Amino acid sequence: MLVMLFKRIVAMALVMLVVSLILFVIFETDKLAVAGKVLGPYSSVEQRELWLSQNGYDASFSTRYLKWVGNAVQGDFGSSLQLKVPVSEVLWPRLFNTGILALCLFSIMIPLSLTLGILAGMKEGSWLDRSVSTLSVFTTSIPEFASATLLTAVFVFSLKWLPGTSAMSDGFEWNQMILPVLVLLMYDFGYVARMTRASMAEVMHSQYIRTAILKGLPYWTIILKHALRNALIAPFTIIVLQLNWLLSGVIVVEVFFAYKGFGKLLLDAALFGDIYVIEACTLVAVFVAVFSQFISDVGYTFLNPRIRFS
Amino acid sequence: MDERKLGKVHAAIPDMLQQVKKGKLSRREFIINSALLGLSATAAYSLVGLKEFGIPAAHAQTPKKGGTLRVSMQVQEMTDPATFDWTEKSNVARHIGEYLTMWGEDNVTRPYLAESWSTSDDLTEWTFKLRKGVKWHNGDEFNADDVIFNFTRWLDPKTGSSNIGLFSSMVESFDTGKKDKDGKAVMSKRMIDGAITKIDDYTVKFKTSSATLSFPENLFNYPTMIMHRDFEKNGKDFSKKPIGTGPYTLEEFKIGERAVLKRTGMPYWGEKLDNPYIGGPVFLDKIQYVDHGKPGPTVIGAYASGQVDAIYAFDIAQQQMVESLPDTTIYTASSSITGVMRMRVVEKPFDNKKLRQAVQACCDIDAFSKLIFGGRANVGEHHHVAQIHPEYFELPKPKQNIEKAKKLLAEAGYPNGIELTMAIGNTSGEWQTQVGEILKQQAAQAGITINLNVMPSAKFWEIWDKAPFGLTEWTHRPLGVMVLGLAYRSGVPWNETGYNNPEFDKALSEAETIADPAQRKAKMEKVQKILQEDAIMVQPVWVPSFALANNKVKGYTAHPTRYHLYHKVWIDA
Repeated sequence: MLVMLFKRIVAMALVMLVVSLILFVIFETDKLAVAGKVLGPYSSVEQRELWLSQNGYDASFSTRYLKWVGNAVQGDFGSSLQLKVPVSEVLWPRLFNTGILALCLFSIMIPLSLTLGILAGMKEGSWLDRSVSTLSVFTTSIPEFASATLLTAVFVFSLKWLPGTSAMSDGFEWNQMILPVLVLLMYDFGYVARMTRASMAEVMHSQYIRTAILKGLPYWTIILKHALRNALIAPFTIIVLQLNWLLSGVIVVEVFFAYKGFGKLLLDAALFGDIYVIEACTLVAVFVAVFSQFISDVGYTFLNPRIRFS
Repeated sequence: MDERKLGKVHAAIPDMLQQVKKGKLSRREFIINSALLGLSATAAYSLVGLKEFGIPAAHAQTPKKGGTLRVSMQVQEMTDPATFDWTEKSNVARHIGEYLTMWGEDNVTRPYLAESWSTSDDLTEWTFKLRKGVKWHNGDEFNADDVIFNFTRWLDPKTGSSNIGLFSSMVESFDTGKKDKDGKAVMSKRMIDGAITKIDDYTVKFKTSSATLSFPENLFNYPTMIMHRDFEKNGKDFSKKPIGTGPYTLEEFKIGERAVLKRTGMPYWGEKLDNPYIGGPVFLDKIQYVDHGKPGPTVIGAYASGQVDAIYAFDIAQQQMVESLPDTTIYTASSSITGVMRMRVVEKPFDNKKLRQAVQACCDIDAFSKLIFGGRANVGEHHHVAQIHPEYFELPKPKQNIEKAKKLLAEAGYPNGIELTMAIGNTSGEWQTQVGEILKQQAAQAGITINLNVMPSAKFWEIWDKAPFGLTEWTHRPLGVMVLGLAYRSGVPWNETGYNNPEFDKALSEAETIADPAQRKAKMEKVQKILQEDAIMVQPVWVPSFALANNKVKGYTAHPTRYHLYHKVWIDA
């Protein structure tokens, strides 16, 4: 087990290194373009060259790369060109905000979609199964921008129950979280519910469940003691991977509701060409992706002892 | 007011007054022009028998003091006012720092930190008297050294301020003595010796190399905010050390999130003035700007649910939604904001005048105002001078002529049509893409295919003056000659078309040097005709400036350039 963990961590570090190299090549090979971004479109070549030599860009590519990686590991990503503050000053609070959004979403979505998925998967083809499946397909197929508009039209403009944006300009307010979480929930719960349902249905067809039924065990004992653990393996992976999706998938929701999260930061940086923020955000996103993969692998072995890593 | 009591004024003013009496000059034109020449706005209004703008009627409600005004607007960095490139940046700063002059909804230039000004008959010497007793927030007294410090800074290319273009008549080019890689001399710009003279602690004289009627007006352009003389010593960061002369200071500032302004606690010097925009008591305790992103549905959502009381601007796509909002007033100001679909005459295929004329002939100018702005916008006539400019000369309206366009296209050497690509950055909203779409449809009838290359605005600003064909937004300027001099005179920094026509330059210079608006108007006929004939742009519409606020917000006005100045705004709670 320890060897497996060690190997995984080494692999993670390697992936991060490769991604960081690709990022650096994309954004910082053309030094003059970097200076142009910093000094603005009206700057002269002379000014740009001066800035480059003042900021250590005269060093070789590999030296610059190593220095950049070293700083990044210590959390120093440079300064944002657009916001004029160190990247870490905006990155962590924004990531924290998206974390709050994810926590709210998961605390509702996981119980909801697992319950619905299990109920639907217990008896394939039952009315409960059909209604859960139809509802899931319906909500998942509405894109976030459409459901956000719809929910805003109903709850903000017509009923006037909820605030229209979630900028939290006077500190954290719970009612500002409702609409963003609702939109994400509508989009995401159906997917997890359907995966759980499929997994549950498969388990219910397996021979050991049939044996248990034939043995005459009570129905709920079979479900809770025998079926559930095996049925949860697939949804577990899916749920951990949702973390990943959230980092980029929330862009639409964060922009629509002016929520100051990671997605909005990444989008603003991409539109502005704020290279140091883009580099930092990408590294963080890749780290979350690799790390969630790691968690799901480890969790997998706990849930299913048959799976071993060689 | 009796004109005999005028005293010593600029020589052109009595003549102008005669023209008003004979009906040759409108009263509004008289007010705008005489104010530029140094006559006080109050005197100008009363000479032609009009009530001054913004003076409240006797039955008006008594304003209430206190409260916070919450406004949705993008909160951008605010480091150095001299390098501001977005109005939004200046809107937060404008409540802290102040300008030498100001103009509001009525386009009349009034004194601000300057007490008064006068100009020589040839409009090349401007003497500004400064206000006494104005205190900076650190207790220092405002004086001529502050003004000289700012001008010196603006006109130094190292600062990177666009003001160097605005005051180009105070700047000269010189050879730095260095050579570039190709062996050509490296040129730079510097302030002309003697361009600024300190007469005494409260008087400054400016000398320009050519007549510059717009000089006082330029001093309210958003990057011309007057900073404390120690701005550089204090670290050159206005958002960290916001020392101004205005009624507010910065309480909180988070880029991309919010900016909160609160009263300084010092008595405000401007309360003694009788200026309708800044004089008298300041009412609001706090002004809070909240960033909900660019104008769009999110901003309207924030407003509709009462999270803000007013919004900076809304996209025209939300017009209907906005009109259905309860307890809301939409404020409109006519402006000379416009989208210029300009062609770089130094690049193929746009070096071909017949081709440019063909593109222009495809354009049906009426369609743009109708389809995009519900008929609320003035039509443009491809010469970048607006109906609201005092020197606008009325030429016959350009008409769409597809047959003519086809003929011109064939003569240009493209009998089978041509494919062109137009760069669009939507720098101030989706209307720019819509303008491009409409021209695309119209040009298709003549066999001209226009591909729209829509890009993020930051990307667009990298190529705005390089793209062979592109739509550039030009902001409002109260005089037509101001923008023509900035954008179409040979060799000026913002000449994005590469246009170089000595005949045009000469005609424009002639128009600029004339203080008399009626005579200037006559001179503009030639200027406008040359621009139309050379077909360097398709410019079919003037974009109105919209803002909206809740009805409990009183004293709100729309400014033609969306400048915020909330001294007279109050909340009827």
